[in-house]
Amino acid sequence: MADLHVNICGVELKNPVIPASGTFGFGREFDEIYDISCLGAVATKGLTLEPRLGNPTPRIAESRGVILNAVGLQNPGVKHFIEHDLAWLRGKTKVIANVAGATLSDYGEICARLDGLVDLVELNISCPNVKCGGMAFGIRPQDVKEVTHVSKTALKKTPLIVKLSPNAESIAENARAAEAGGADGLSLINTLTGLAIDIERRRPILANNTGGVSGAGVKPIAVRMVYEASHAVGIPVIGMGGITCAEDAVEFLMAGAVAVQVGTQNFTDALACPKIIAGLGKWCEVAHALHGVERVRDLTGTLTMN
Amino acid sequence: MPEFDALILENKPIAPGIYSLMFAIQERVAVRCGQFCMVGVPGFPLKRPLAVCKAEEERITVCYQVRGAGTRALAEEHSAGERISVTLPLGNGFCLKPEEKRIALVGGGVGVFPLIAALREFQNQKQLFSYMGFRNREAVCLSHELECGEKLVLCTDDGSCGVRGTAVQAFLADIDDVRPDAVLACGPTPMLRALKRATEGRDIPVYVSLEERMACGIGACLVCVCDKKDGIHARVCRDGPVFRLDEIEL
Repeated sequence: MADLHVNICGVELKNPVIPASGTFGFGREFDEIYDISCLGAVATKGLTLEPRLGNPTPRIAESRGVILNAVGLQNPGVKHFIEHDLAWLRGKTKVIANVAGATLSDYGEICARLDGLVDLVELNISCPNVKCGGMAFGIRPQDVKEVTHVSKTALKKTPLIVKLSPNAESIAENARAAEAGGADGLSLINTLTGLAIDIERRRPILANNTGGVSGAGVKPIAVRMVYEASHAVGIPVIGMGGITCAEDAVEFLMAGAVAVQVGTQNFTDALACPKIIAGLGKWCEVAHALHGVERVRDLTGTLTMN
Repeated sequence: MPEFDALILENKPIAPGIYSLMFAIQERVAVRCGQFCMVGVPGFPLKRPLAVCKAEEERITVCYQVRGAGTRALAEEHSAGERISVTLPLGNGFCLKPEEKRIALVGGGVGVFPLIAALREFQNQKQLFSYMGFRNREAVCLSHELECGEKLVLCTDDGSCGVRGTAVQAFLADIDDVRPDAVLACGPTPMLRALKRATEGRDIPVYVSLEERMACGIGACLVCVCDKKDGIHARVCRDGPVFRLDEIEL
């Protein structure tokens, strides 16, 4: 059996496969389908300081090879998560708390609440900054650096991962900005902004009009961005965007990722994550026979450009 | 809620744009009426939430309307002998209390399909009065499945089959004679709103099965919420799809 262990920011994961935030809740529902302790970690549903009701429905649309979502961060709030779900989830596997805010102080406060309680904090910076005309924190490098710095200052014990938005001027610039702000790692890509139209009604399908695009169709964009970001910084990168199988995960690892997240495929196949874990093991065994790949972590950054 | 690699036994049109899909799963699963399954369409990222119409041992039948590219592909490109990914059983289903004996079933369009499951489940326990509405004669389907219980009123919008008018109108005309202890309903939102107006102040519990776009189907992704009167967002897939009509905002 191939060695699937990876280490991200000092946190040892039994394998590099993590369900992505927003597709997996806090893990309880999927745990009724399979034992989620097989996962490397779980990235939680995005948490905010106060409970949020989210957007009106429809919140989901589909296009060829991709979906669009506009859930609007519905969540029970960080306090409820800590009191009701955290202990259970930590008993299963490593916990990456995905957090979001509307102001810089929101980010600081929510990070302070979670410090020392979770294995990693993942910063969702695709949210609009209400004090900055609604422009997302994740677009301009100076904003990325600032929100990272505020969050990092509040985290004395737990390492900080910044989840980069692909809706950025430059992914490499924003990766460097997060590193300069004190990030211990990066994850990318968050969803791309899209629009799907109901042509009979001449209206957007989503109540929110636009939504975040994810799924198999975004994978080449995501792999390119993971390559650019991981080569721009010295901190570890978690890759995601359209992973449907073990071979997709290997692409992200070769592009420079230490671990991967799987999102939309959890909807297509509820057993996607365990299948990808098993597939990675098999792939490494075959690759070991052919190329001497013994450990999945040895794949990271092995891409040679033409 | 297991995941099944289901074998398609039959996938055939039963009315214009309406198909009946029967598939076999590997084991017998207890499915309550009003529960649904998530049916994968090869090549599409999202599964389709479809109400179970019939569950006969390992054989499950769902009926669906072609609404977009995914259901069109399911209808036109997949047939007996192929395999599809299915998750079931999902959701709460219709639950009746022992004292609820006289039951009215009000269905409109594709909303009649989960009510067929209710007719089958309750036919030997309850007195059932059905009011089923379709657009016109061509749209009427599975009427032989509807013919059980004390009474069936078929309605069409244009009067080309059965009574002219809607299922809610037919139900309302009968309500004082039938004196139902509870109502089970499924149909388009305007129908449910009309039913709400018709039953307001009558102290009859109305259990409705809601339709909503879904992603995971198991309660994790929070895509398919509905507004409850207490200000909470309920998950249609997990907390429903059956809700008391007086507890939700339509």
